[in-house]
Amino acid sequence: MPLHPQIADWFASKGWSPRAHQLDVLEATEAGDSALLIAPTGAGKTLAGFLPTINDLIDNPAKGLHTLYLSPLKALAVDVQRNLMAPVTEMGLPIKVEARTGDTPAHRRQRQRTDPPHILLTTPEQLALLLSHADAGKLFGGLRRIVIDELHAMVTNKRGELLSLGLARLGTLAPQLRITALSATVAHPEILRDWIATPVPNAEARLLLGTGGAMPDIGILNTEQYVPWAGHSAAYAIPDLYQVIKAHRTTLLFVNTRSQAELLFQLLWEANDEDLPIAMHHGSLAVEQRRKVEAAMAEGRLRAVVCTSTLDLGIDWGDVDLVVQIGAPKGASRMLQRIGRANHRLDEPSKALFVPSNRFEVLECEAALEAVQHNWQDSEDPVSGGLDVLAQHVLGSACADAFDPVALHDEVRRAWPYRDLDWETFEHVVDFVATGGYALRAYERYAKLKVMPDGKFRIAHPGIAQQYRLNIGTIIEEAMVKVRLVRGRGFKTGATTGPIGRGGRVLGEMEEYFFTTLTKGDTFLFGSEVVAYEGMVESEAYVSRSQGKDPKIPSYMGGRFPLSTFLAEGVRKLLAHPDDWSQLPDQVADWLRLQRDVSLLPQPDSLLVETFPRGSQNFLVCYPFEGRLAHQTLGMLLTRRLERARARPLGFVASDYSLAIWGLGDFSGLIRTGRLSLDDLFDEDMLGDDLEAWLDESALMRRTFRNCAIIAGLIERRHVGVKEKTGRQITVSSDIIYDVLYQHEPDHILIQATRRDAARGLLDIERLGHMLARIKQHIVHKPLDRISPLAVPILLDIGKEAVFGEARESAMADAADELIREAMGQV
Amino acid sequence: MLLSFCCHQFEALPSGALFWRAENALLVADLHLEKLSSYARRGSLLPPYDTGMTLRRLEADLDLTGAAEVIALGDSFHRDEGSTTLLPADRLRLAALMGRARWTWISGNHDPAPHSLGGTCASIVERAGLTLIHEPKRNQQGIVAGHLHPSAHIAMNGRSVRRPCFVHDNRTFIMPAYGASTGTLNILAPAFVGLLHWPTLEVAMIGKGRVYPVSPKRLITGAEW
Repeated sequence: MPLHPQIADWFASKGWSPRAHQLDVLEATEAGDSALLIAPTGAGKTLAGFLPTINDLIDNPAKGLHTLYLSPLKALAVDVQRNLMAPVTEMGLPIKVEARTGDTPAHRRQRQRTDPPHILLTTPEQLALLLSHADAGKLFGGLRRIVIDELHAMVTNKRGELLSLGLARLGTLAPQLRITALSATVAHPEILRDWIATPVPNAEARLLLGTGGAMPDIGILNTEQYVPWAGHSAAYAIPDLYQVIKAHRTTLLFVNTRSQAELLFQLLWEANDEDLPIAMHHGSLAVEQRRKVEAAMAEGRLRAVVCTSTLDLGIDWGDVDLVVQIGAPKGASRMLQRIGRANHRLDEPSKALFVPSNRFEVLECEAALEAVQHNWQDSEDPVSGGLDVLAQHVLGSACADAFDPVALHDEVRRAWPYRDLDWETFEHVVDFVATGGYALRAYERYAKLKVMPDGKFRIAHPGIAQQYRLNIGTIIEEAMVKVRLVRGRGFKTGATTGPIGRGGRVLGEMEEYFFTTLTKGDTFLFGSEVVAYEGMVESEAYVSRSQGKDPKIPSYMGGRFPLSTFLAEGVRKLLAHPDDWSQLPDQVADWLRLQRDVSLLPQPDSLLVETFPRGSQNFLVCYPFEGRLAHQTLGMLLTRRLERARARPLGFVASDYSLAIWGLGDFSGLIRTGRLSLDDLFDEDMLGDDLEAWLDESALMRRTFRNCAIIAGLIERRHVGVKEKTGRQITVSSDIIYDVLYQHEPDHILIQATRRDAARGLLDIERLGHMLARIKQHIVHKPLDRISPLAVPILLDIGKEAVFGEARESAMADAADELIREAMGQV
Repeated sequence: MLLSFCCHQFEALPSGALFWRAENALLVADLHLEKLSSYARRGSLLPPYDTGMTLRRLEADLDLTGAAEVIALGDSFHRDEGSTTLLPADRLRLAALMGRARWTWISGNHDPAPHSLGGTCASIVERAGLTLIHEPKRNQQGIVAGHLHPSAHIAMNGRSVRRPCFVHDNRTFIMPAYGASTGTLNILAPAFVGLLHWPTLEVAMIGKGRVYPVSPKRLITGAEW
């Protein structure tokens, strides 16, 4: 029994006993091993992480940094400090615990470097900052332990890549350190274990599974209401939801996007006859407003909070006794984590309710329900490392001290995401950091890194370290614009007309790209009001109050996460097995029966393609169930091919389930007469030249490049989005840099990084590739006279979702034609 | 595409140049040579290829038109010292171009000082009743200028596109920026207010390999100017 009596007494005084997995972590640490603890929320994970530290410090109360705690949220670091101080104080131990975030005062941060606490609670970005100072070796040299919280949430993104490089560095500075990582349940825990094992090669890493909590109590909303064919508002469910909220103490209502949150919040307040305290929480709200909601929540003053993924992680928000998922669950692991937000007491079941907002989502909810009940996991696996993050780390290493490239390469390969990094690529990255890495050697005299006689690289001057510290991190804020309320009609389009309406109050901020899709008069929901877009004035969006109740632009944007492969399989299986439809609501089962009668049901190992005329156009609808991103990519590539086949496509729209393309050519006829072959159309070779040709022009690549260029340090963070009063950018835009670079060095390190990110994120190419391989020679074509029941939802999305097409050039051609007609007096 | 301005005929090229056939002259504005490399001193090592791109563009336009004269309407260099920082290959390329045509460098706000690259350095050029200058002046007839980097953003049948454009009102002609690294400013932006007379406005947008005349009523403001 390695537990120190002082700790055992404290447990006893509380009437508790340590949980098995808490002791397991302690035992692993005492045995000199690292450990990955996988346990559900509410299992006392945080204490499990710190028990070995407390235990060790009681016997060895040495000065200096003993344990470094890293979490993805600075709020979590602050919260853990509070929660950890309680037992430490109650045990009467002289252990110093401090948090360090971007909000920590500069003088304290300065002091923490020279006189650190025993336990420092911080974020991956702050770790990178600390490591970039020359005194990092002194600060971390005696470090015994690292505790990483919510590891599963970090390993799938660039923050995880940055963290992994920081861990590798710490492993060099303090070979004696051991890592304890805490994670929610994931699909492949052994990969996460390796992830924390590689930075400390002299230690084993144990995989510890916490005892599972009680089986969650989950249902799908049972409603008398009509479930809509399409849309994401879940308006039909409002009366039921209101009753559910009334029947519980505190309900968390998760939605997938900010605009869904806005809409749901508005609808709930319209139904809120009893004035229940219902609040909203999402990333576009002002920080003070979010803090207010969180405080009210913690004090138990709220009955319901409508929220987005901003509340997926983090601290306990009081007594949540019900979690409601509105709309598509998207993934089983994600749902399990969200459901875990309810009832942080381990032994009682968490209670959750799925509310599909349309008929396909009913199927998805059924699939998710089955997965969650079996505790099946489909979480994303950790990703291999990006070269942009590596470039940032290389510069950071040079800021701390001159580095030997061979030694740094070895160290970097101890970061799990970079374990396979070859020397040549590493050299290119170092060259990029030093001089830009261009084939044309233009910048030798401006080099940021200089090679010293002993072969080590050092920074050219101290200003470079300052610049580096201002640009640290991997989180790139989307360019946001302020939304300001003005009087309607006061502002007119066109610079030649009257005075601009004077600005009123600022409603909040919104992603800049949203406004690129709007024209004057378009209405949308913001801050729970329907507003009309008036125009951009300098760098603010002006809006006026709208009379109408229904916003014209739903700005749904589909959310960031596509349907998981796993749930997609579940949906395909359910569709293909009419025997299982009895579990579905009658109206949904009827819909599927109708599809079976008038067309075909999609089968798991083939791809159903329907073609039919409608109005003056022809439609091609297919059902890959591979998620919106893969479908968008597929749509882009198919329309290019249809163009070449002279099928005259006009546009397409993609959902998580299906893809609809429309055009002027007679798709059915072209296929029947053999002029269009579906096997050729869907051939995997589209991922070759067609993909390349499309990427050449794709705005997605430009947007992705911007992020990579900022992370890699090519573009300075503080310059991004800075504009003069005239609206002209002071600095050169990242689009221009991308175009110039792409044309001259398509294999440049940063273009490689951009490609990888685009392929993985926005394009979902790997998944599309798997799908194309699976359905090869298994395409089932069904020509129809009219629209099929299954095609209705996606066709209803036209006009609501973004429509894509090769239309930019032709828009100008049309405008030119129009001008000619006008000149000829034909308009 | 032919544009008629103050009784002169100009050919608007998709590169952003104007070919003045009557004078056998090629007009270009805002080359901003050495723009990306000018950030290196501040620690941003941007791709040093924009100068070469712009010069190759000029080379192609000279091949296409056979112009015997090039008039650059200011901001030819992103900074004055740009004329001295040219990489050897770009310097050779520029020298070859200047050997093929008479060259006039009009000064701009980015490159006010004369330089010693050859050709003529001037602040203004009067030619055939027109005034060629960097910054457009208000209320003066027959100005051909650059400086503002005009672009048009149009919406048509649910699609929208924004591209650099030629724009004039038959009093003032504003050329698009020619340089490979130049950004643009929507002609609805405040900087254009009072400069152009709306009822006689003519707008020609640069597309792929051709120039499209568009109706001013199609113009919109986007999220960026």
